[in-house]
Amino acid sequence: MNRLILISPLIILFVICLFVLIYLVSGKNPNKPPSALLNKDTPLFKSVSLYDDKTFINNESIKNKKVLINFFASWCTPCKVEHPLIFELANENPDLYILGFNHKDKKEDAKKYLKDDGDPYNFVGIDSDGLIALEFGVFGLPETFLINEDGKIIYKYMGPLTEKIIKDEIESLL
Amino acid sequence: MSSLIGFLSLIAATGINFVLLSSKIFINFNINKYNTLVRFSSILTFISFFSLMYAYITSDFSNFNVFQNSHTDKPLIYKISGTWGNHEGSMLLWISILSIYGFFFSFTKKIDIELKKLTLLIQSFLHLLFSFFIIFTSNPFLINSVVVTEGLGLNPILQDPGLAIHPPLLYAGYVGYSIIFSLAIASLLNKNNNEEWLYIAKKWSLVSWTCLTGGIALGSYWAYYELGWGGWWFWDPVENISLMPWIAGLALVHSLLMIRGEQVLKRWIIFLSILCFSLSIFGTFLVRSGILTSVHSFAADASRGLFILLIFFIITGFGFLVFLLKKPETSKPITLLFINKFSALIFNNILMIIATLTVLLGTIYPIIVEVLTNKRISVGAPYFNSTVIPIMIPGFLLMSIAPILSWQTNKIRSARNYVIFFILISLIIVIQSYFSKFNTWGIVGLILGSWIIFASLFAVLTSYKLNFNFRFFQKVNPHIAHIGVGIAIVGITFSSVFKNEFTYNIVEGENFKINNTDIVFDKIETTNEKNFQSLRANFLISKNKKVIGNVKAGKNYYPVSKMITTEAGIFHEWFRDVYFILGEQKDNEWLVKVHVNPFVSFIWLGVIIMVYSGLIGVSRR
Repeated sequence: MNRLILISPLIILFVICLFVLIYLVSGKNPNKPPSALLNKDTPLFKSVSLYDDKTFINNESIKNKKVLINFFASWCTPCKVEHPLIFELANENPDLYILGFNHKDKKEDAKKYLKDDGDPYNFVGIDSDGLIALEFGVFGLPETFLINEDGKIIYKYMGPLTEKIIKDEIESLL
Repeated sequence: MSSLIGFLSLIAATGINFVLLSSKIFINFNINKYNTLVRFSSILTFISFFSLMYAYITSDFSNFNVFQNSHTDKPLIYKISGTWGNHEGSMLLWISILSIYGFFFSFTKKIDIELKKLTLLIQSFLHLLFSFFIIFTSNPFLINSVVVTEGLGLNPILQDPGLAIHPPLLYAGYVGYSIIFSLAIASLLNKNNNEEWLYIAKKWSLVSWTCLTGGIALGSYWAYYELGWGGWWFWDPVENISLMPWIAGLALVHSLLMIRGEQVLKRWIIFLSILCFSLSIFGTFLVRSGILTSVHSFAADASRGLFILLIFFIITGFGFLVFLLKKPETSKPITLLFINKFSALIFNNILMIIATLTVLLGTIYPIIVEVLTNKRISVGAPYFNSTVIPIMIPGFLLMSIAPILSWQTNKIRSARNYVIFFILISLIIVIQSYFSKFNTWGIVGLILGSWIIFASLFAVLTSYKLNFNFRFFQKVNPHIAHIGVGIAIVGITFSSVFKNEFTYNIVEGENFKINNTDIVFDKIETTNEKNFQSLRANFLISKNKKVIGNVKAGKNYYPVSKMITTEAGIFHEWFRDVYFILGEQKDNEWLVKVHVNPFVSFIWLGVIIMVYSGLIGVSRR
């Protein structure tokens, strides 16, 4: 009994280290929570274009296309940081359809932002009340999703994209 | 140049520690050699640390670490604090503090020579492990491959005087436990042993615990006014990590007090010594591996994580293995009575260990769940509040009288007075709450807090001869520490249970009223400071039509890192803080959030008293 008590710290230590080791080795990253949506169908959405009240986009419009969905806003500083990288993605992958959702923003601000910094998106949809973001389970801006030709979400990244993330994780999926 | 000096001194310090360790096997150095080598290696480590600091002060961007984390526009103090405001530098700080402790420990006189040698040897071993970690995974002296004239800046949220000294103080606490760890292990390995080491450990444990208390409080105070959330403790993983060695250290400090009596629970003390340092390293691992999400966003790197995990496993495993295999000679039997000092201390120790394990479980639970089920969960304030606090309550009840309990008998002097006193306080508080705002937790907290304060005061007045010299303060020190805890409990209770939050959408010139205070949203000012632009709203605060002060709340924009930080404005009064946060602007209207946090100043006052009595405790033999 006495011996068992004495050995218990070692057992606890071993168990904790084991779990933490598995966690580390399996490459889990707290900044990338496993999305409940991963490998599931894209949520249903419908959004109007930022530039034209009459143009809509919905799930039908992106059928059979590889799509990168990026949630952004003019007030979001990290979005500004990742912005040039989206241009790079667009240039290097002409087949990739890049869909931007302008999240909880003012129309004029968003237009000005895209005019000043450039517009890398094939389509900019308005998500002024954040309902689309809610459907996608967006935690905070920016957030990026990759959708395959079958309309399934195959990748999600929270926070500003970096060269490394694009190179290591996104390009292999394109 | 300074980077080169820094790197070479670190290598040299590591080399010396290596020599010291291998000397155990090949040649048996005498104690003087040990002392000299340890001091020499410590000085080299300091040189290494100060070379890095020098590179920061002179904005030497040929050093990659400086380039990544500093900027010429920064005020000097933040250039200095930039030294440890990043992963590599903070690890260098870690071993520098380890060296400081080793350096001072080498001057300890009244100690068995073999024990001292072993302790220094274990310290060297720790130094060696962490130096390898720095040299191979986190070298702060890498050369920048491109020539640049400007750096990339320091995280602006860290540009704060409180935070500049928070990490060194916190580390002084964490790393201080290394000496106790080494002493405890050395005492197990050393055959001819007396109990002298316990007295030495007592001093060092108080030093570490006091530093840790100060460090945690500073961090918490920083979170209070910098994060702009109106709270001061969020049960954030990084906070929990510092709380665990703090509670375990508290248990250790209290256990070491037992050596004043005749009985010694040596084994338990050794266990706690190993536990405290293990928790400190585990904390370092959790923070530095980036394995937990937290308001403290540190850079994550898996290889570093693995390395520290290995160090943690080696040190803790070694510690507990020695603990398992080497038995200290049996201590004298202990007198356990229903309520004597000894049973109270044991009771308090058990509670503290349960609390520590509860925090540990809550902190690592998300990792375990994610590994097993691949689902992410988060364990937050509700869990900790509803587990840790109730566990601690019986301990709080006991602490007010514990210092005057007897070692040998069940008698408490004037026990009846205490009982009457307790009932009286409880009645007053219950009646008072009934007529104001009724809240169960509020009542519990207030009764506990005020009972601790008054009973401790009563004990001081009745059990000691009042005589205001230094010895008197040393004698009543346990009571003073407990009064500090009582005051902090009152502050914590009030500020969490009875806080109020108001939100306004107002334009400049408008006013609003909170309780009996009139507040005018005076004007918005923008200014350009050295390394940021500031936007401030000025609020005039008046009572009975007399202006009693003003507060500025707003935001800072740091162009270098393109970051906006919230700068809360706090109007401090003794019995409440009025806490202003400036939100978004819509048309002409500004969103203004006001928290009224009663008795927050009591928390800081309580902590200051605890730190004070920690320092007095160190001076006591």
